[in-house]
Amino acid sequence: MNTLIALTIIAPLLGAATGLAFRTNSRARDASTLLGTGVAAAAAVWILVRVADTGSHVMAVGGWNPELGIVLVADLFAALVLPVALLIIFVVEIFAIGQRRTAWGANPELAGPLLGVLTAGVSLAMLTGDLFTLFVAFELILVSSYVLLTHQGQRGQIRSGMTYVVMNLLASTLFLLGLAVVYAATGTVNMALLAERVPELPTGVRVGIGAWFFVVFGTKAAIFPLFSWLPDSYPTAPTTITAVFAGLLTKIGVYAMIRFHTLTGMDDLGTIMLLIAGATMVIGAIGALAQSDVKRILSFHIVSQIGYMLMGLGLFSAAGTAGAILFLVHHMPVKTVLFLVGGLIENHQGTSALDRSGGLAARRPLIAALFAVPALSLAGLPPFSGFVAKFAVISAGIEQEATPIVVVALFAGALTLLSMTKIWLGVFWGPSPELAAAPARAVGNRRTMVAATGLAVAGTLAISLFAGTLFELSQRASEDLRSPAAYISEVTS
Amino acid sequence: MIASRSPIVRLGVRAASPLAIVIAVYLLFAGHNRPGGGFAAGLVLGAVVTLRTLAGLQRPTHATGLITSGVVLVAAIAFIPLLWGDPLLDQQVGSIELPVLGKVKSGSALPFDIGVTAIVMGLIVALLDGLSDPTAEGGDPAPVEQEERR
Repeated sequence: MNTLIALTIIAPLLGAATGLAFRTNSRARDASTLLGTGVAAAAAVWILVRVADTGSHVMAVGGWNPELGIVLVADLFAALVLPVALLIIFVVEIFAIGQRRTAWGANPELAGPLLGVLTAGVSLAMLTGDLFTLFVAFELILVSSYVLLTHQGQRGQIRSGMTYVVMNLLASTLFLLGLAVVYAATGTVNMALLAERVPELPTGVRVGIGAWFFVVFGTKAAIFPLFSWLPDSYPTAPTTITAVFAGLLTKIGVYAMIRFHTLTGMDDLGTIMLLIAGATMVIGAIGALAQSDVKRILSFHIVSQIGYMLMGLGLFSAAGTAGAILFLVHHMPVKTVLFLVGGLIENHQGTSALDRSGGLAARRPLIAALFAVPALSLAGLPPFSGFVAKFAVISAGIEQEATPIVVVALFAGALTLLSMTKIWLGVFWGPSPELAAAPARAVGNRRTMVAATGLAVAGTLAISLFAGTLFELSQRASEDLRSPAAYISEVTS
Repeated sequence: MIASRSPIVRLGVRAASPLAIVIAVYLLFAGHNRPGGGFAAGLVLGAVVTLRTLAGLQRPTHATGLITSGVVLVAAIAFIPLLWGDPLLDQQVGSIELPVLGKVKSGSALPFDIGVTAIVMGLIVALLDGLSDPTAEGGDPAPVEQEERR
């Protein structure tokens, strides 16, 4: 078990290092980065099987006492989210191999190794048992994301990249200051010890810490007043990069929030979280309606969907947290697939702008089908995974009689469907525009790209197929988080 | 480089380099029990590389080689304890009697620190490569500037 946990972090790093060494030999480079992520993903799946079976596993790095050293904790929540995240990166890396010869492809010499570093950061962020290592993992992810976002050096990328870097640096600085406050108040940054000590703090300090980290993680997660960096910067990056960012980065913020705020029992923040969740949902969905580019619509949807996860968390009930976890698991692959399809659209007609495309359903029915499944899933229609996830969150809301937020959530769901219809009408139906009919540039290996997208769509379908099992696991994970006595004793013993 | 035209700077840097390397080695070994360590040693070596670049002297060039070997070394040292069932990054400490130095205590943290030094130094070399020659590998041919000049 120790080996499996270590592999999820070390294998992608090693893959990145060897990929860097082979930078001019494209086949060896792709093989080593794919192998690194693949090994990590396989290890993560195996961790999930073991943890679901025998319960969580704690590894004290270097054999140090948890109070002094770093612990990596594979509890059910981490084990459930980690394989999804790593499999997504694996699929996107395959897509990137097909896409790299196009104008929209990322520079493979840089993107491969940097995605490896990002993967290691994602694993570390999910498995870590203390806040400071979480900060380090965030930095690992962010530093590689800065480069990935701007490495092509186009004007739009640099301009919106600036906003991205400044916002995230600000959030990181606040994170570090918050860590100092937490350490001063409790004398530890270990999450298990925090779960023990934070509830004993005076109310003002406790709520202050909770609100501080709500802002920090909220900036990373792009919640309502802090989301403006996201829809500007994401669409400018190469498709593969955007797909990884859209699927993972904001979700790491939500993940950290779910873990920290449930473990430390921040129930007092519930009302404000619900208010912000409602605003995030509606404003994201309305923003999406106003856009006229596939990637920009999808970027606003990320914001809108974060609202649902925040709603699940803000209810502060076992069912609500379970719904948020299930939504997280559903949302990561679906969002990535939609961006990959966006990449396919761009590749076929030379643009992702709605007014300059059309008629793709007749010419490329496969792409239309690959878009339809995750789009309907995102809007929350049965029998897709989005329905199960939304149902879990909303029924938790009804259970707690939080009627206003339930109404807002249903309304935002309808808006989501409306903007998906907008993409469908603009891109897949209608007459084919003549000027975009023949993209002049090299188109890359379409078969690889379609196969990778198809694999990811199959993954989202698998989530709806195994929704029962996943929901049950989410419930168990949420109960572990809500009553942290077991977590505390496992880590500190 | 302006500095390359000044013999004083060149001579000074040339004379200071071995001293700085000795300091870097000291920091590398001191890091076990006192302030120092692989990162600090890497920074000192990086400062030497930077000064030598400014003075137009010979300097290491294989940035990716340094980074790659550093990461592989660090990952291997972190991972090897797992083969015996110990936790990640567990340290083995041993001591031997040497003729001049007396009893010397060291552990598997030493190669780990050497790996960190290689990574830090490699990153600084890559940075200097990118700054000094825009067409060198690792640096983009700066399309932004061309766009803005238009």
